[in-house]
Amino acid sequence: MSTNTLNVGVIGAGRMGITHHSIINTLPGVTVTAVTDPSSVVTSLLEKYAGVRAYGDHASMLEREPLDAVLVCTPPVHNHDILRQVHAKGLHAFVEKPFVLSSAAGHELARMFDDAGLVNQVGYMNRFNDVFSRARTLVGEGLIGKVLRFRSEMYSGTIVREQEKANWRATHANGGGAVYEMATHAIDLIHYLFGRPDRVGGTSLTPVFSRDVEDIVSSTFYYRNGPSGTIYVNWSDDSFRKPTNKLEVFGDRGKILADQHGMRIYLREADPARGFAAGWNDVYITDVFSSVPFYLRGIEYTAQLDHFVACIRAADRRPTRCSFADGAAAIAVTEDLFRDHAATVREMN
Amino acid sequence: MDAIDRVVFGDNQFFGINHMSQEKAQQQTLRFQDLDSIFAVYDTAFEAGIRAVMLNSNDRAAAICDRFRARASAYPSLAWYPSIPYPHKYANLVSEKGILGAVNSVVFKDSGALSGLGRLAQGGFALLSRDVVQMAKMLIDTEMRMFRELDVRVVFLQNIITDLLLGLNAPDFFVEYCEHVRRKYGALPGLITQNLPLLRERLESWGISGVVICASINKIGYFMSPGVEAYRVALASNDPAKYPVMAMATLASGAVPAPEAYEFVNGLNVQSVVFGASSRNHIVETLRHIAPAGTASPQASFAPVGAAS
Repeated sequence: MSTNTLNVGVIGAGRMGITHHSIINTLPGVTVTAVTDPSSVVTSLLEKYAGVRAYGDHASMLEREPLDAVLVCTPPVHNHDILRQVHAKGLHAFVEKPFVLSSAAGHELARMFDDAGLVNQVGYMNRFNDVFSRARTLVGEGLIGKVLRFRSEMYSGTIVREQEKANWRATHANGGGAVYEMATHAIDLIHYLFGRPDRVGGTSLTPVFSRDVEDIVSSTFYYRNGPSGTIYVNWSDDSFRKPTNKLEVFGDRGKILADQHGMRIYLREADPARGFAAGWNDVYITDVFSSVPFYLRGIEYTAQLDHFVACIRAADRRPTRCSFADGAAAIAVTEDLFRDHAATVREMN
Repeated sequence: MDAIDRVVFGDNQFFGINHMSQEKAQQQTLRFQDLDSIFAVYDTAFEAGIRAVMLNSNDRAAAICDRFRARASAYPSLAWYPSIPYPHKYANLVSEKGILGAVNSVVFKDSGALSGLGRLAQGGFALLSRDVVQMAKMLIDTEMRMFRELDVRVVFLQNIITDLLLGLNAPDFFVEYCEHVRRKYGALPGLITQNLPLLRERLESWGISGVVICASINKIGYFMSPGVEAYRVALASNDPAKYPVMAMATLASGAVPAPEAYEFVNGLNVQSVVFGASSRNHIVETLRHIAPAGTASPQASFAPVGAAS
């Protein structure tokens, strides 16, 4: 490993790949030196204009490049295999969500990377959103008392017409569909706040425009000695201009309504220590945002990569804020969702 | 280089863009669903003395431009500051078709021609650099079509593209963009960014100048990476003849009251301010607070001009 500059390779130069490439490339002491993508158009563009060495496959890049870390931004079906090779080379890894498509593969990778002392992180960026992380802190401190219920919702107008031709997003086998691509964000947010649910029930998966995968996801999560709550995710709702996350947490002393841009807190009694009045309180993103060294698409995108780099530089090997183990836990919940939905469908037929 | 307007009227309020509140954004979308209500606000802004408009090339902008053209005599000497592209159109297309597929469907949507680019992308050929440059120009021209026959002063590239290319460290794209805007539109190239200090530093090192930089500039550092202090330093040493600066998000989505917000901006080496508002009061109030062109300097500390007028 080089001593000062971190050399980073990007595997997969799609929308997320080039976003992460651009961001991490601006962080002090970090340079993206190599990129892989199956499209030679993309690799020749990046080679020519962004001055990186480009490869058509990750194996060649891992073989030839002196790297410290990789960003894995490929369709999730490939990630298990890719990450095993990354591990064999002893590189730290940041991987786009949903990480992998089976919890067994996820747990295996988590163990492998942890045992080797390699920094590992999954790109669930809600954990780096200033509003959601403040909400988590406030809930954890008991601001709204004992938590009884939650709702985690996501909306977007991503899939609003029949898909023209099959790409990797069209099948579950490749990691397509609203469960893997979008609901995992809502699931991870709940996992971040309350841990992994003990049971899921009442799952319903509904296609709108997609043929073989769902576009709407809903489910109820239960905790043995804790709250219960629901997720509702719809990526075929074009009444939302931008992808929108909404979180509601209800406790016996009040409730929190949060989205990426701010939160409203209702308290039965005032909390002068934290500066909250009885009744409604507004907290805006402009009250809680953290500054990042570079901005592209959202503070959380930079914050998560900044965290990844800081963890690589740190001497100890504490888990990252969203480790492979966390990613495996989110995928375990998706397995529960598919199982629960299939059982219901069987019963109804 | 031509001076840019001190005050430019923005468009976020019309399109349900509110960085702080999605609820408010949805209310605004409802209010501005018809063109008449949008033009009522424009008329108010023009009555208040504004003569410059920034408009993003989104789905609804074409109809707005059509009406401005149709009523050209009612809107004389209006200066245009378009921003391209409309990012969300591309975001969804890219999810669906990949980056090249998205570019392909936008550029070749109207021509009906079988796209050379699509064939290249699928066939696994390497693109020649002149093809890439050509493709980028076609994208710009596609976005700019709706602004035809309007008096375009600056063509701004949206921050999501500017900052993506900035992070990728891709100077050639900036060179080509600036040349194309100057040559084809006789306008100044403009770059919107959330990273002004880094952008200006890179532009200088790449030898690119004569570019308008539009950036969020507000007291609390919202959408200002890496932070307020770096902006102060960068602006104080900036040569406005090379990089005129236009401030946006001056109120930080409403977090800073107008008098404070413009006291801060007026004290900086900033040549122009773009703001959006939807009521007469807000428009007139804001205009009262923005110091006239040429009076601001990085050293001076300004009292709110509103108090004097």
